[in-house]
Amino acid sequence: MKGLHLSLNQTQRVRLDTALQELQSLAPAAASAAAVTVADTIPVNQEDNILKGHGTVDQDGEVVATLCGVVERVNKLVYVRTLQARYKPEVGDIIVGRVIEIAPKRWRLEINFSQDAVLMLSSMNLPDGIQRRRTAVDELNMRGIFVENDVICAEVRGFQHDGSLHLQARSEKYGKLERGQLLTVPPYLVKRKKQHFHHLMQYNVDLILGCNGFIWVGEHVVVGEKTKTTGDQQKSSTEAENFTPLETRKHICRLANAVRVLSALGFTLTVELIIETAEASASSNVEINDMLGAEFYVQTAEREAKRRADLLRKKNGAR
Amino acid sequence: MVALSEGEKHFIRGGIEQDIRTDGRRRLQFRALSVETGVIPQANGSARVRLGGTEIITSVKAELGKPSILHPDQGKVSIFVDCSPTAEPMFEGRGSEELSAELSVALQRCLLGGKSGAGAAIDLSSLIVVEGKVCWDLYIDGLVISSDGNLLDALAAAIKVALSDTGIPKVNVSLSAASDEEPEVDVSDEEFLQFDTSSVPVIITLTKVGRHYIIDATSEEESQMSSAVSVSVNRHGQICGLTKRGGAGLDPSVIFDMISVAKHVSQQFMSLLDSEIAAAEAEAAE
Repeated sequence: MKGLHLSLNQTQRVRLDTALQELQSLAPAAASAAAVTVADTIPVNQEDNILKGHGTVDQDGEVVATLCGVVERVNKLVYVRTLQARYKPEVGDIIVGRVIEIAPKRWRLEINFSQDAVLMLSSMNLPDGIQRRRTAVDELNMRGIFVENDVICAEVRGFQHDGSLHLQARSEKYGKLERGQLLTVPPYLVKRKKQHFHHLMQYNVDLILGCNGFIWVGEHVVVGEKTKTTGDQQKSSTEAENFTPLETRKHICRLANAVRVLSALGFTLTVELIIETAEASASSNVEINDMLGAEFYVQTAEREAKRRADLLRKKNGAR
Repeated sequence: MVALSEGEKHFIRGGIEQDIRTDGRRRLQFRALSVETGVIPQANGSARVRLGGTEIITSVKAELGKPSILHPDQGKVSIFVDCSPTAEPMFEGRGSEELSAELSVALQRCLLGGKSGAGAAIDLSSLIVVEGKVCWDLYIDGLVISSDGNLLDALAAAIKVALSDTGIPKVNVSLSAASDEEPEVDVSDEEFLQFDTSSVPVIITLTKVGRHYIIDATSEEESQMSSAVSVSVNRHGQICGLTKRGGAGLDPSVIFDMISVAKHVSQQFMSLLDSEIAAAEAEAAE
């Protein structure tokens, strides 16, 4: 709830509090017990000699948290995973990042990690899927592919021996993102899934949920046409600019505001929830801008509480 | 500075052209405004104003001083703005000096009137305690906590809120002393005089992007501007000040158009601000 500043009136405040309390009560007991703040004692079984990990300290024989977050236990190791933290990459993650520098044979990207990620020119395949040859000409033409400040999408390849993070973009679906907006949310709100690229057919919108908390909402681009559009760019800027169609733009803004609302309320971002929120706003005739108003926040919190309650009831009923 | 790719810039410009901006606003719509008063207990009046992602704290501090020889019947008001490095890393050290000075000067022009004090938003003669001897010096300080565009409008709004929160202690002057001696003053701890803030203007900045102009631009939108005109308008719809930023020139007819739009928007903004101030004061009283 950090950074949520709403001007709520009396009833809205009561409704939001009830919804949040309900959400709290719906959470499994284990989950709420695992959440700690600084100076909270972490219950451990002293017999099996545990290993104290990150964010813990030994105080008079008790394990005490030194960070706010969630207690994680892996075999003997006990550590605290902080929520308000930078992104921690894992191999295979799909991320969205922004180019900050072009260095010899590589681009440096800002991905909300503790250091800049590196995308090697050799980690990019040619448009027809053939591996690049290391030529000097190719290297000189790197700005023809990505320039500074470009938003691109790539996959985490792994860590090098020196600890730097390498990315790769070997398929058509990766690459430059254009015509849309980039949103940043706390990385813990995006869970690793099978699918991070979403083409929302009904809206003609591409939604990319980067594992690093960078979320791209933009006009749908047909794979394979990307290279062509970049070539057109120079031409179109002098002509009358061909903007995103109004209908698509409305959907983009609506989805983007849904992401903003959900992340401010601290709900895990899944494509279903984002669409549901956007649909709910559209069906109840909430203007796109009014989605960021207090009333819609309260409604979203209430809807989520109801959804989770229903889910729990169904689960219990099935048992 | 904000970093944007060509695609994003194109998207922002297109949004302004099509009258639906990245957060779904129309061209002449403000972001959500939230107002808090009395955030600094040591000050005579203070306010925190949030306009979308922009956050401003202002404080008003009153001190007893001597009026200037030129204007013995007037008090003094000074405005300073500081940009905190928490807003942007480039504000660290001396990085914010240029912007702070620009904002301070713009606010001084809009709120303090001419050299003689005529036309000031704050009635300077109300600050006098003993003519030629003792007056109140008002120090208005603005601090930019986080910056997401439209700093000037937010600062002016914050100053307006802080002034409406300000209470000047009541002063009792003992008249026993001879006229050329320093009069003895007794500052009351309990009784405060409220300001008349009805003539304090609000500032509306119209940012021109492409063929259209928008109000309350975010920093992303500001990076795409060709020029921006800030109009300060008081409650009666009178123009109190006008500043233009940005290199590109403007046609006079466009400026007149902008002024009439700013005038219209300012009245809505003023009433919104008034209701927010009333709500904030009611909350503080609880």
